[in-house]
Formats: sequence, C-alpha cells, structure tokens
Amino acid sequence: MNIFTRIGNWLGSAAAVMASEFRAVFHDAGALLFFVALPLFYPVVYTLIYNPEVVRQIPVAVVDDSRTAESRHFVTMASASPSIKIYDYCSDMGEARELMAAGDVYGIMYIPRRYASDLANGVQTNVEFYSDMSLLLRYRTFVAALTDLQIKIASEVSGERLAAAGMESYLTGDSPLPVQSNSNMLGDVEQGFASFVIPGIVVLILQQSMLLGIALLGGSRRERRGRALPEPDLADRAGAGARVWGRAMCYVSIYIAATIYCLHFVPEMFNLPHSGSPVDYLLFIFPELLAAAFLGQALVGLMKERESCFLILVISSVLFLFLSGLTWPRYAMPDFWLWLSDCIPSTWAIEGFIRINSNNATLAENSHPYIMLWILTAVYMIAAIVVTRFVDPRREAVKS
Amino acid sequence: MSDTGFKAGLRRELRQLGSRRMYILCMIVVPIGMALFFLSLLSEGLPMKAPTAIVDLDHSELSRTIGRNLASQQLLDVSYDAESYDAAMEKVRRGEIFGFFLIPPHFQRDALSGRRPSLEYYTNLTYFIPGSLSFKGFKTQAVMTSGGLMRTTLVSLGMDADEVNSMMQPVIIDINALNNPWLNYNIYLAPSFVMASLALMIMLVTVFSITGEIKRGTSPQWLATCRGRLSTALLTKLLPQTAIFMAVGLFIVWLFFYYEHFPMNGSIWAIAGATLLMVVACQAFAVFVCSAVPNPRLAYSLCALFGILTFSFTGFSFPVPSMYGAIAIFSYTAPVRYWFLIYINEGLNGVDLYYSRYYFAALLLFPLLCWVLFPRLKKALLNPVYVP
Repeated sequence: MNIFTRIGNWLGSAAAVMASEFRAVFHDAGALLFFVALPLFYPVVYTLIYNPEVVRQIPVAVVDDSRTAESRHFVTMASASPSIKIYDYCSDMGEARELMAAGDVYGIMYIPRRYASDLANGVQTNVEFYSDMSLLLRYRTFVAALTDLQIKIASEVSGERLAAAGMESYLTGDSPLPVQSNSNMLGDVEQGFASFVIPGIVVLILQQSMLLGIALLGGSRRERRGRALPEPDLADRAGAGARVWGRAMCYVSIYIAATIYCLHFVPEMFNLPHSGSPVDYLLFIFPELLAAAFLGQALVGLMKERESCFLILVISSVLFLFLSGLTWPRYAMPDFWLWLSDCIPSTWAIEGFIRINSNNATLAENSHPYIMLWILTAVYMIAAIVVTRFVDPRREAVKS
Repeated sequence: MSDTGFKAGLRRELRQLGSRRMYILCMIVVPIGMALFFLSLLSEGLPMKAPTAIVDLDHSELSRTIGRNLASQQLLDVSYDAESYDAAMEKVRRGEIFGFFLIPPHFQRDALSGRRPSLEYYTNLTYFIPGSLSFKGFKTQAVMTSGGLMRTTLVSLGMDADEVNSMMQPVIIDINALNNPWLNYNIYLAPSFVMASLALMIMLVTVFSITGEIKRGTSPQWLATCRGRLSTALLTKLLPQTAIFMAVGLFIVWLFFYYEHFPMNGSIWAIAGATLLMVVACQAFAVFVCSAVPNPRLAYSLCALFGILTFSFTGFSFPVPSMYGAIAIFSYTAPVRYWFLIYINEGLNGVDLYYSRYYFAALLLFPLLCWVLFPRLKKALLNPVYVP
C-alpha cells in the first residue's frame, strides 16, 4: 500500500467514525442535553443571576451621638451615595447591633459626641463604620462609597476654611487640591459583577458541557461493550487515531453554533463588555474546543458507566473555575495549583478570551495562552489515543 | 426486629457500599479534597502584590518620589517601568499587568506653579480581585501625593501643620471589617464553597444509589428485602451514607475552625448541628427529586444543575437581596444556603442562636417534605424502567 492509499483509508475511516458518532449523539437525549441545551440555557441563567451587576442601597443603621446639624448633614451626604441606604437611626450601639444580628442592616455608622465641636474647633474627628463581612462585595461597596464621602467632606471643609483664611486663590476649580487625579477603569468599565464573571463562565460552560457529553457517550459505549456485536462496519474497524479524530471532528462541529452563541450573542444580549474582533476570538477558541474534545475522550478512561460523568465531572467545574484565575489571581496561587491550572485548557481559554473580549486585545497579544492551548491539544490528543486503544479497541470482523 | 427487614436491608446496602470504589471516591475523597483545595489555594488570604506598571513621563524629582512610594505599597508590585501609555496598555492587553499609574509630562513644574496637573491611573477590572486591589493602591497614592503637595504649600505659606492636617482630612471614617479584619478570602470563600461541594456530592451519591437500583432492575428485590416498606428501604439505604457524610462534614468543620482557626465567635455546636442537618436535608432533596422524576438521567441532571447553580444563586459572592426576585427565590430551596447563614451568624458574627432559628427550622423542613412523593417513588421502584 502506498502512502496516499494509507492516508485515504485513514481519512475514510475517520469520516466513518465521525458519521457514526453524529448518529450516536442525535439518538441520545442525554448527549443532546449536554451538547445543545446546556450551552444554550446555562449562560442565560448565569447572566440573570448576576445581571443586577452592582450592589446598591445596602441598608445601614446610624448611631448619632452628636445630634447636631453637622452630624445630620454628614448622614444626608452618606445617604446620597447610591450604595448606602439609611435603614434607621438607633439610640445606641446595642440597638444597632441587634438590627445587624437580625440581618436588617449590613453596616453601622457611629458618629461620636465630639463630632460637631471637633469640626468647629478645627480638630480632626473620627466616624466609625462597622461593616458586616459575610460578603466581601458589600464591604468593597462600602469602602468605595465611604472613601468618596470622606474626600467630598474634606473638600467642602477645606474650601470653607481656606476662604476664611483668605486663601481663595486655591479655590479656582471644584476642588482645592493642587493635583487632580483621575481613575480609568479598563475592560469592565461599570465594575459590574456579570460583566466580570460571565465572559469567563461562558468559556467554561463550553468546555464542561462538552466534557460531560463526551463522558456520557463514552461511558455508555463502555457499558455496551459486553453485548453482542453486529456486523462491524468501517467505523468499528477504525484504529484508535481515526476514532479519536473522527469523534473530535464530530464534537467540534456540533459546538460551532454554541461557540458563536456563547461568545458573541450572550455578551450582546446582556450588554456585557464585548469589544474584540470576532475573527480573533473565534480563531483563539478553536484549539480550546479541540483540546476539550480530546481531553473528554481521555477522561472516558475513568467512566465505567453512563452515569459516571455526573459523579466525577460535575464537581470539576468548580475546581476548574477557581484554577482559571478568574476569581483568585494566578500570581497568588501556590506552585502546585499553578501547575495544575496550567494543565487545564479552560485556564488559557478564559484568560485569552477575556482579554480579547473585554480588553480589546488581539490574537497576537495573546500568543502565550494560544500556544499553551495548542500544546494541551497535542498532549490530550495523545492521551485520548492511548485511552481509546485500551477502552475502545478496533473491532475486526470475526473470521469464520 | 428482623421481620421489618431493617437488618437485611442494612446488610444489603453495606455490601453495595463496600463493593463500589465510586462510593469512597465521591463520599470521602472528593469532599475532603475540595476542602484541602480551597484551603491551600487561598492560603495567602489576601493576594498582595498585583503586577502593575508606572509610566513616568515627567522624570522629575517629584515623579521619582511618587514612583518610589508606589513601589513601597503592599498591594502593588510595580514590576514594569513603561516608556509610554501605549506600551503600558499593551502590557495590560497581554495580561502582564493589571493596571498602571501615569505621571504626565511637566508634572512637577505644573504642580508647583498651580496649574493643577492630573495623575491618571488605569485599572483592568476584568479580573476583579487584582483589579480592585490595584485600584485601591493607585487611589491611595494619588490622594497621598495631592495631599502632601498641598500640605507643603500651605505650611510654607505659614499655616500651622496640625491645622493643615485637620483641614485636609477633617473627618476620618474608620471602616472596621467585623470579624475578618484581615479581609482574608479563605475565611470568606472556603466555608461556603466547600460545603456547597459537599452538598452537591451528597445529592449526586443519593441519586446514584437510588436510581442505580432502577437502572439495574434490582429495585423490586431491594423493596422485597425490606418487606415492601419504602421507608425502611430508604432508611437502610441512606443511613450508612448519612453516617459517612456526617463524619466527612464534621471533619471539614474541624479543618476550618480547629486546624485553620477560622473565626469562631459563637457556638461550634451550632455549626456542627447545622452540618448534620444539612447532610440529611440534601439527601431528602435528592430523594424528592428521584421521586418526582424516577429516571436516572433526569434525576442526575436536575441535581447536578441545581447543585452547580447553588454556588451562584445562594449568594456566596453576589448578595441575594440584590438579585432579581424570581432568581433570589431559588436560594431558599438550597439546604446549603441555610448552612451558610448559620455559619455567618454563629461562626463569623457570633450572634445569639435565636437569630438562626428559622434557618435551623428550614433545614428540618427538607426531610419532612420529602415524604410527599413517596407513593410515586414506590410505583417506580416496583416497575423499574431504565431509559438511557
């Protein structure tokens, strides 16, 4: 046999495997659930959960021991912040603590007796704020609002005092400070929670739903292996390489629509950051799909039956999400987890997609994650072929 | 005792538990593995030293001082000295830095001659933690620079230094982070996420053991062993698992509060009790799902879907009161949500047990409610139909 006939035969059997895998997928409601329904609905459900984007109007109790026009003015300024809602005035800290214990408020503002007199005497004064720490997002929102409040009061007071001291020359702008400063948010301009988390989540959904579907199909196949074999056709007789590639092509082509939906339409629908070039992020995500298609086939080695995928793979979504560095930055990970994180395709896919999608980066600027994805593709392809050789060997016609 | 089929059922179940490695993996290895994963991944507590850059277009004495101060900040690692805005932006897009601080040209000259130059800082918020920490570092630096300059000017004009200080910052708002002053992410994230992982595994293993009987067609035999009583059958099947999950749950609680010394300002017994109740509540939830849809695939899918979504809609990171009402309502259906609220009350905040009374009641409600669909489950067990 010359080399061209060999390549032709290999392509023929890979195509036969691909066709037979398509039939298997479309006759399996479970696989369709994973391959179609999951990427379709999960991104919508997740975005709906986080779509309020920011935390506003967090209830706060006020204990005002100063009870002066100045302290009331302070509270009015605080309540002007969109983040803070004055829930109630309390007569003492005990009462406020009770409100907090009952979950009615998440912060207590304590204005001391000296507040107004300190201000009048030009002495620095302190206001105490106690933040509930059950969620860091609330604390963060408080910190941002109160820092702004502190700066606002400072410019109000120092304006008045400079004017009183006859130094109006410092009051040319809206602030008496000699140096202005300007904060510029990149990527997630509104600092919204959905805008931050969803671009990463959609990539993870693509990978995990594909892994689950492949594991389900592979587990079912292994369960059926004991049963009597009908006439083996071209697909049954294909070698491990052709099997792995044929199946991978089937999965990847099924995922083309889901990928465009998740990466393009989901951000569009919900007004999330979406600034990169489609050519860049689609080219970028291709090795992620391929790597997942191979990784899934390698994992079939662990799936002894159809339902194993639920028990083993579902929890990995949580693991992979945290390993991706989306919530906990990679530079702060201990070495072992960093290494494991390197081995998961979604780590690189999430990193690169977020930069292209939210930071308008190019494919070239993401060459590092892109190369890593291709390396993982190659590694998992080899793993998939080895596993397939053992768990799903070629079937020759029984010679009689 | 023997004619209730209790002993026979128990024996049958223990044999099954021992015969499948899957049980050990899912009941012990995975939940404890997840606990160790979170505890060691987040061991730094608060990620210091976000990689950032400085763009100094002024090259003056003042700008160099700002650069030095910036570099000395604990939150920041000023790892690059970019020569232009574009170069720094490219580093952001490459993911090498999470933000940069820009000092414009002629900054010192403009600042000293009263032309109010502007310091610009850029933070990439596509990654929340490093983004917001570098924002905090930059903002502190900007405020310090501007305040310092003003102080110097006013003092040189003859104002008293104390007077200047109180004028620059007349009111200081001290923000006290109650019971987690270190802003430790481990304390905040690990308990909820590890328990939610345990809850997910409890539900999946329960579905596995019940629908496995349907799948193999052994469910009539299972019922027969227990003299046809569904309650005995379920009790004998789930009791050994309950015991194992409870032990695993308590071990995790021990890891948090005794090994890692997470804040425990209330009663450890309340948390331990909540953990035991949560195990039973999750099993009850899964029994309910199996009764509603006695089909392995659907029961698994529902429990997996629900279990994974609990990580989000139970408000471990985004608060439930800020969610849309139609979504927030689901948070009340997850047992682990109540565990989380009890942990916040009893562990973190140490408030009176009285304030957690509804959460304990809710956990008790799950096993009470799962009886409702028993007739339906019994019918399905007597006529097992496996649809792959």
